[in-house]
Amino acid sequence: VLEARIQQLQSDVVLDVQHAKVQFLKSPSFRPSRWMEKLSEEKKNKLKKQQILQQKMQRNPKEKLPGKSKASRTAAVTTAATSSKAAEALKTSKQKRRDSKSKVSDKDATNKPEDGDLAEIEELEKRLNEQDIQLSIRCYLEACVFMGDVERSQRFLLSQHRVMSRRKQLTTDIYNIMMRVWAKKGTLNQIGRIFILLEEAGLKPNVSSYSAALECMGRNKNCPPKVISRCLDQMKKDGLSVDDLFRECVFRQDERDMLLKAVQTVRPDYEPSLTLNASQSSSPLVKDFYTNRDHHTYPKLDFTQEDLQRRFQHQLSVEQACTVTIDSVEAMKPVTENMVKMRELLAEQRAQWQKVLLQALRENKMILTKTNTRDYKLNLYPYLCLLEDKEYVDIMIQSVSNLPPSGESLKILAHDLGNRIYTKYCVRQKHQNCIVEKLQSIYGAYTELLAKDTKVCNVLPREQWCKLEMEQSSGPTLQGAETSWPYVLMLELGTFIVDIMVKNLKINSDILNPAYDKKLIPILYHMYTFRSTRQVGFIKPHPILTQMQQEAMETTLTFDSSVMPMLCPPVPWTSEKFGAYLLTPAKLMRATHGATQHEELLEKCPNLHPVFDSLNQLSNCAWRVNKPILDIIISIFNDRGSDKLDIPPPLSEAPKIPHFNPQDPDYTASEKAHMKREVINAKKKCSEMHSLRMDALYKLSIAHHMRDKLFWFPHNMDFRGRTYPCPPYFNHLGSDVTRATLVFAEGKPLGPKGLDWLKIHLVNLTGLKKRSSLQGRLEYADSIMEDILDSADDPLNGKKWWMEADEPWQALACCMEIANAVRSPDPTKFVSHFPVHQDGSCNGLQHYAALGRDVIGATSVNLMPCEVPQDVYSGVAQQVEELRTRDAAKGLKIAQVLEGFISRKVVKQTVMTVVYGVTRYGGRLQIEKRLKEIDEFPK
Amino acid sequence: MGPSSHQPRSERTSPSSTLAHRNLSAAAVQGQFRPLCRYNYLDLGEVEENLRRAQASKIMRHFIVNPDLANVVAQHLVPDLQDAKTIIFECNPGPGVLTKALLNAGAQRVVALERDRTFLPDLQELESRLDGQLEVVHCDYFRLDPIGNGNVKPPTMFTDKLFTDLGISESAWTDDVPVKVVGFLPERNGRGTLLKMVYALFERLSVYRYGRIELNLFINEREYTKLMSRPGEMIFYRAFGVLWQMACDIQLLHKEPWESFTVSSRQSARNSKSKLPNDHLCLVRLRPRADLFSSGLTPSNASTLLMMVKQCLAKRKVKLIDRLNVWSPDSGSKLLSELGLPEDILTGNVYPDEYLRLFQLMDKSQEFTQSWLYEEILENTQREGWG
Repeated sequence: VLEARIQQLQSDVVLDVQHAKVQFLKSPSFRPSRWMEKLSEEKKNKLKKQQILQQKMQRNPKEKLPGKSKASRTAAVTTAATSSKAAEALKTSKQKRRDSKSKVSDKDATNKPEDGDLAEIEELEKRLNEQDIQLSIRCYLEACVFMGDVERSQRFLLSQHRVMSRRKQLTTDIYNIMMRVWAKKGTLNQIGRIFILLEEAGLKPNVSSYSAALECMGRNKNCPPKVISRCLDQMKKDGLSVDDLFRECVFRQDERDMLLKAVQTVRPDYEPSLTLNASQSSSPLVKDFYTNRDHHTYPKLDFTQEDLQRRFQHQLSVEQACTVTIDSVEAMKPVTENMVKMRELLAEQRAQWQKVLLQALRENKMILTKTNTRDYKLNLYPYLCLLEDKEYVDIMIQSVSNLPPSGESLKILAHDLGNRIYTKYCVRQKHQNCIVEKLQSIYGAYTELLAKDTKVCNVLPREQWCKLEMEQSSGPTLQGAETSWPYVLMLELGTFIVDIMVKNLKINSDILNPAYDKKLIPILYHMYTFRSTRQVGFIKPHPILTQMQQEAMETTLTFDSSVMPMLCPPVPWTSEKFGAYLLTPAKLMRATHGATQHEELLEKCPNLHPVFDSLNQLSNCAWRVNKPILDIIISIFNDRGSDKLDIPPPLSEAPKIPHFNPQDPDYTASEKAHMKREVINAKKKCSEMHSLRMDALYKLSIAHHMRDKLFWFPHNMDFRGRTYPCPPYFNHLGSDVTRATLVFAEGKPLGPKGLDWLKIHLVNLTGLKKRSSLQGRLEYADSIMEDILDSADDPLNGKKWWMEADEPWQALACCMEIANAVRSPDPTKFVSHFPVHQDGSCNGLQHYAALGRDVIGATSVNLMPCEVPQDVYSGVAQQVEELRTRDAAKGLKIAQVLEGFISRKVVKQTVMTVVYGVTRYGGRLQIEKRLKEIDEFPK
Repeated sequence: MGPSSHQPRSERTSPSSTLAHRNLSAAAVQGQFRPLCRYNYLDLGEVEENLRRAQASKIMRHFIVNPDLANVVAQHLVPDLQDAKTIIFECNPGPGVLTKALLNAGAQRVVALERDRTFLPDLQELESRLDGQLEVVHCDYFRLDPIGNGNVKPPTMFTDKLFTDLGISESAWTDDVPVKVVGFLPERNGRGTLLKMVYALFERLSVYRYGRIELNLFINEREYTKLMSRPGEMIFYRAFGVLWQMACDIQLLHKEPWESFTVSSRQSARNSKSKLPNDHLCLVRLRPRADLFSSGLTPSNASTLLMMVKQCLAKRKVKLIDRLNVWSPDSGSKLLSELGLPEDILTGNVYPDEYLRLFQLMDKSQEFTQSWLYEEILENTQREGWG
């Protein structure tokens, strides 16, 4: 009987797949075309194989018919939500199909899939897919629990459990989510039931399962000790100790205390043993650093502990809000009548849109609740209940105002929206789990390491943080409570939201020009752009909206809080998932989505301590804004910009897009083609200018917002180990303009040599005197002191010496610093905040030389002290020339032809890239290219 | 005139052992002569020798080496050849077998556009032996009018230069076909090339400035099937097919298995991912319709038509009415009823001529000219949009 039932289920499943496919193709066009295309392509292939399977299984065709009609009935109801649902169904069905497949091949081994290659690929795909499904189930369940819908969560878990194919995807941790819920409610019998389910599924309870059970017992005041002992015994049989529970579990809220209470009722003396799993760094390169630290002290920041704690509170409130609205620097511009009018219009419209979106969102949610006919299917409903409805609407409105006039690809837009929802959800989760209070207390204690008014420590931030976490072990665990959403989920959710926006946001077409017919037109539209033979879904704003936004020049900008620098020292990285911001999730390693292998490898990495510690060191550096420079930059920015100084001009400076009537017979075909090209160029130029302008606007506005504050940049890395500040717009790795606006928060007296270094730095920034010795550079600086002081005193109307430098803005900042220093009563006591750069020459070769203890090499790449900067490229060119002369003398034709052409420039690129693995072939091409560039070279 | 090359007739038809198994459908043309041919008969050359030369080409491409096949192709182009005004552009003749066959068949003026320098000397030698019936140009027809602004040097060329050098002047659209092009559609990026050409056709740019240029191209069977797919074939009914069907009378002249052609050495294996059969190369005639620009469509508003068709057919299973309403709210049902189409018709079920009529209606209506569709076109002219 059971087998018959299984078979029936399987055939249902097959139909489901087919149906999902049909739905998928019919569903409305608002979808991220590329990934969807890929999915559908994948699915097509599968469907083909599927059909073969289906034929095999067609033993009881009668059962299929009712199944099909049922399925189509569902389809009729779900049209509104098809796009998302189809995708859901697709995911689930894919996995189910595979299950049925494995069954079939089990049953008749003779009919195994044909070729091994296919099976292998299938295997790999299966593995990846299973992870995705597991993750999706987990996220779904967690979302249900988060929104407090116990009934829905329980029903969902049971339905997953009942469907055999799904049951295979479930892990103990998924069951544990539900156990936790019942533990909070103190209903022990429900937990017992889940233990039975676990057994049915052939899974073993793990530490978290027992922890939930015990927690539940701890919550029940009159739970008989006998029950607790039995539970502990059972746990022992499973090979788990009580210490394991405390060591390995991730606790939320008061779970840990309840667990301890339960344990202590039967073992009153029990205290969890705490050990810091301090595996020391294995790399011999850094071994000494970690072991010989008797004389090390961790440098103090120039803040008192109280000050740091106050700063923490500020940052916390910023992150709790998730978004920051700041004044745009353009707000300083005078307001014209038209601007006022446009701002009013926009505000009016926005209020209207807010209402419309709120209603649409509610309607969509209603539809979703009603159409969820099958419990085991995942839909988006719980993800739409994580935040207040109004918050979703705010996110939508925010993304409308941030949409560039040339539009954004649907995929990027959707992912952005999904991610924003996820971030908010994470922050809320942390609240719900009472992590904020704990974070506060640990951070408070952590500041002891950094503050100047506390005792000196010789531990690193990471070590201090871990120690504190261990000491304050009661309450929730700080790390690891949030599951990160799969990429597909972010996209689906985002697409759903975009769909609501596209369908509901409208504007009157006569709003700007009463001559037009009055009717409601959508402000966003979905279209395709075509890149070679691919088509990409795009969301574009209606020209009317763009015009309104540009003319209104709104005075505020809204950013995600993670875009801003932090107001307190960042949380030190202690694991690859924990560090940087206080509440906002951050990644240790930047990765493109889908690079799951990278992430897997990262998780397996045994000892990342040196990585954490380096990042923490970078992140702990405090910065502040160089106000005089910022003011000058903003004044130019708000005036007309300057291409020469790298300040993007406003769109009013853009070339006018020529208008012409293509029907006009006065133009010849080639004239028309020419004008058309011109229009295209003008449009391209405009959109480039717009994006540059916006980028600069963001940077300067953030800098302006931060002008009186001290701040920190949390850092992370890419897979190569290059470090980056997390805030994307305004940071010290940016262009000349942004770098010039930043100085260190903590100043130091210049001392006897400081002023000289400032001068040398200035000469370096100009790009002149590259061949001179340091002394030569210093002398040059002294010889042009008049220009330097003039630049500092009258940057815009004086001799403008600084404008000719390679890095003009930093040069100007340096001029001002030098001016201030020399005019101070005692330059050696002048407190400077100014960063002075040190640069390498051909860094790859420097490493090679150092690793090889190569004295000659080291000298030529400036690793050995030398009077004048060495130039390795000239050296190589010289040697090549020597060999060439010798070959030429021997009568080698090529060598003779090359006479007089071996220059520094010819060899430079190849020398530089040879250490990064350029091949012989590639090197040959590089040299060929350089030679071709020489005009006199015989072709 | 090259009388020295005149050789006994028997050799011309002697079948090569390597090609003996070939099944040529039109073997009947063997030995036929154009009675009109005023010139000495040109020998098509040793098959073995031509084969060797073709295979030595470094660029992956197909050649006609077999004299019988060359004659068949020539016959298809012949009927109008008596008319001295029609010029034949032969793209990439290679060893020149088809070139000679065309001349033998009575072509009055053949222009050989060869991209590969290695074939030029022999072609030029042939040119010098004739009396102006053949002109050889180092040029790649499929790379005429490049988009970028780099340095243009042969074989890349601008149409103006080519046509001016050849002394061909612009003619009206409704005039007779001034030039017939014969050649192989490049296997690599064939679709892109077809799209580029159809855009040029609608906007009367590139060669189409000079009139209704007729293409006679060898297209692989799969691409041909897609080109000719009809509404309802949701997978293959795409914008490029619709546009070609709208613009041209398309006729399949001849179908020939791949084996009959010679491939230069670096042949990449034909991938067999698609379900469509792909065993032949099809000689397809694409003759632009004389009445294309007669009712409302002009080269200047054609870009909007291109845009419209591409947007519609990006997905074939969406309702046309939804698309129309996106462009201009509430106008969809009116337009559809004017066209006599059902309200719920899918974009993949609309015939090419219906799209043309739809566009003509839209272009007349004030509502649509206000729509963003018109704003978009200029961004999408050439570089993008070969989709």
